[in-house]
Amino acid sequence: MEKMLKPEAWHPEIDIKQYRFDNGLTLLVLPEHGLPIVSFQVHYAVGSRNERPGITGISHLFEHMMFRGSKELGPEEFSQVIQAKGGEVNAFTTSDNTSYFENLPAAHLELAVRLEAERLVHLRLTQDNFATEREVVRSERKLRAVDSPLGLPLELLSAMAYTQHPYQWPILGWDYDLRNLTLEDCLDFHRTYYNPANLVAVVSGDVDSQQAQDLVAKYFGPIPSPGVPPPIRAQEPPQRGERRAIYKKVSQVEAFLAGFHVPGLKDPEIYAVLLLAAILGEGKASRGYQRFVRPGKAIDLEVHLPPPPFAYQDPGLLVIIGLAAPGQPLATLEEEVWDEIAQIQDQGVTPEELNRVKKMMRAQYVKVLANNFYRGVLAALLYLKTGEAGLVNRIPDLYDQVSPDDIQAAARRYLNEDNRTVVMLKPVSEAENAALGPVA
Amino acid sequence: MTGSAVADYLPAIYHTNLNNGLTVLGVEYDRAPWLSICFMAKRGAEADPPGKGGTADCTAEGLTLGTTTRDQLRLAIDVESRGARLEAHGNWDYSVVTLEGLAEDFGELMALLAEVVQSPNFPEQDFAFLKGRRQAELVHLQDNPREVANRWYYRLFFGNSPYGHPITGDLESISALTLEDLKSFYQRQFHPSESTLVVVGMVPEATVVHEADRFWSAWSGGARPAPPYQEAPPSLGQPGIYLLDRPALTQSEIRLGHLGLPRQHPDYFALRLANYILGGGGFSSRLMTRIRSDLGLTYGINSHFHFRRAPGPFVISTFTPASNTAAVIQETKVVLAELKQGGITAQELEDAKNFYIGHFPMGLESPGGIGQHLLQIDLHSLGFDYLHTYCDQMRTVQLEQVRTAAASHLHPEKLVVLVVGPAALCQSDLEALGPVNLVTES
Repeated sequence: MEKMLKPEAWHPEIDIKQYRFDNGLTLLVLPEHGLPIVSFQVHYAVGSRNERPGITGISHLFEHMMFRGSKELGPEEFSQVIQAKGGEVNAFTTSDNTSYFENLPAAHLELAVRLEAERLVHLRLTQDNFATEREVVRSERKLRAVDSPLGLPLELLSAMAYTQHPYQWPILGWDYDLRNLTLEDCLDFHRTYYNPANLVAVVSGDVDSQQAQDLVAKYFGPIPSPGVPPPIRAQEPPQRGERRAIYKKVSQVEAFLAGFHVPGLKDPEIYAVLLLAAILGEGKASRGYQRFVRPGKAIDLEVHLPPPPFAYQDPGLLVIIGLAAPGQPLATLEEEVWDEIAQIQDQGVTPEELNRVKKMMRAQYVKVLANNFYRGVLAALLYLKTGEAGLVNRIPDLYDQVSPDDIQAAARRYLNEDNRTVVMLKPVSEAENAALGPVA
Repeated sequence: MTGSAVADYLPAIYHTNLNNGLTVLGVEYDRAPWLSICFMAKRGAEADPPGKGGTADCTAEGLTLGTTTRDQLRLAIDVESRGARLEAHGNWDYSVVTLEGLAEDFGELMALLAEVVQSPNFPEQDFAFLKGRRQAELVHLQDNPREVANRWYYRLFFGNSPYGHPITGDLESISALTLEDLKSFYQRQFHPSESTLVVVGMVPEATVVHEADRFWSAWSGGARPAPPYQEAPPSLGQPGIYLLDRPALTQSEIRLGHLGLPRQHPDYFALRLANYILGGGGFSSRLMTRIRSDLGLTYGINSHFHFRRAPGPFVISTFTPASNTAAVIQETKVVLAELKQGGITAQELEDAKNFYIGHFPMGLESPGGIGQHLLQIDLHSLGFDYLHTYCDQMRTVQLEQVRTAAASHLHPEKLVVLVVGPAALCQSDLEALGPVNLVTES
């Protein structure tokens, strides 16, 4: 087969076929025939934003339970069966969605579709399975949050930045809630959120649209749906002044973590904020790297805001993490970071630096399109969070339309002191740490 | 083209040698206008001078700190204004400098990478910055229990042999590093006859070969490197249990292992299959089934043979709430011993083979993934038909070969076990398993 080797002739538009079934299920098909592989994905519109105090972490724990057996399969057999066909299986839970995927040889697509439908209908939720998996999840939480260098300060940051919206608690949940969750909570959760009307399925890769449609119709079509779960309407009110806290732990370094409320994925202004974040922290030409990391004032200066499709559905947090180099005063580092932001607010950014980060965003977008799995995730999560899968094809334009004035306006509107929450990581000795009591 | 024949999708590898001895390997790629250009010098952290761990890695990063015509900032701007990413690091057995970007910028990116590799400036000021930054990062790593465990572990059984220090060095070795060390490493280890350029992207072969010749054939490099390191170390750390006390942790990081094999070993395929069944196969592995799924003692456990030019380590990695530490070690040893004693079933082997064979095309989706294959093919002289023979080599492994490989190359009695965790919660249980050697960070 002759290869098409002209970049200028490459057409970046993704061909997305969208189907809606009678039971409310939405299917997206993204055919691509370069390799004999396919990604089958099921994205449920439920994440930690759908939880409430007392059952925090249940979305993620439930993700684990989906691998603990069904009528047809024993614990973890789902993964074993798919792997034995050359596939890979995994899942992830965010604040907005819970997603399951199988990347596998195209010849075995039907197996993946059948097993996903089977576990949706016939999941085996038993007390034994539940108790074992709850301990696994608590171990995961200790790994990712409790024993990780910045895990608990990051949890505190969200808990302070949000007073009303469910983004205030961690996706992994609070340990207290994990210990007290019951099997009945899981059964209730399953009844509410795991049904065809609350999911979007994706087939991306070496598949014909009709074949994908037929397979999903065959296995998911007969599954009844009680309907779409009630929407979450929580809104975080505007912040009215800086919030600040200290977190003490055994640490070799001092750090500050700052969160600023920024728009969610549906708001076009998010593209200006993403480019602003890149100007501050993306790459070795960025302001943050040149002013703080390169000369050794900071071990790292990270500016986090997940790009589409991982951007938050509701207004999220742009997080800046400054890790002071040993011997460098943290207060000075923090002040200088605010000073760098003030410079953008006062003087704006140069066309050169804006063009640079726009090209970086476009390049990353093109890179993602080479991969079946990521292309599927891109389309599905955009659909799930905005109602529009076709947004995939407009993302490069949305970045392109941002002007230097938009960046300056975004910096003024969002990266200001009244909209800021700061957690200072203060190192303590082992003895002081022990005296402060246990962590969980 | 569902169910297409292997030959329809396997990339054709083209290769040429320039006059100066540089090998050029490439694949024409058409899934997206993306491009990966990778330079590999076939010497890495194993060639770090004694007491100067981190030299190879810092030398690689040193190349990105500026050239004779562009300072660090100019270079970063010129790379990133094309949306590209420049990365350089040392690894065991090789050092790499990679530039990934859009295929439309092939000409400029090729010129940039050639300049970075061939005309580094090693600026004084940026070296001082690099050294300070590396030291600060090492201080910060001490807060990460997984990193602490990994870094300590290899030192425990490789000692002072070439694989016995962390690739990024430690505080002492980085303190000892001078700019001259970087220049000297570059002069001794970066030579075209021991280097390879890999290009995977939406660029025709003829264009790549032409531009490679234009930008790379005049490079003469430094002296020819000494022969590569490929022997087993003369002495190894003593088997036993080692404990690094971290009172503030709630979980223990655990590493168990022993010396493994070199990549060229004839049992490579059989042992990869045995390891998949043991702990390399995720939820299909026995370790994951026993320790996580049945007992709920950890979120994750895996085993890995690090196949290098010289024998690399075999390591099982896991973590568990501190009070489970001894139980996890005990159960892990039982699983390891069972596998060694020949319990592998025909069905397990069939599943493992099917996984590797079925999964193979997924490594070919991105230019970076294909480029990684090419690097390994070249580094270990696997043959340019390797992608075409891989599945057959996997498919023809017999059950008896896998059983023999497991029996020969797994050594539960020789395990070096490292625990990084709170001694107050796990030491007495560990002592029931055997003598516990307390280690302290110097």
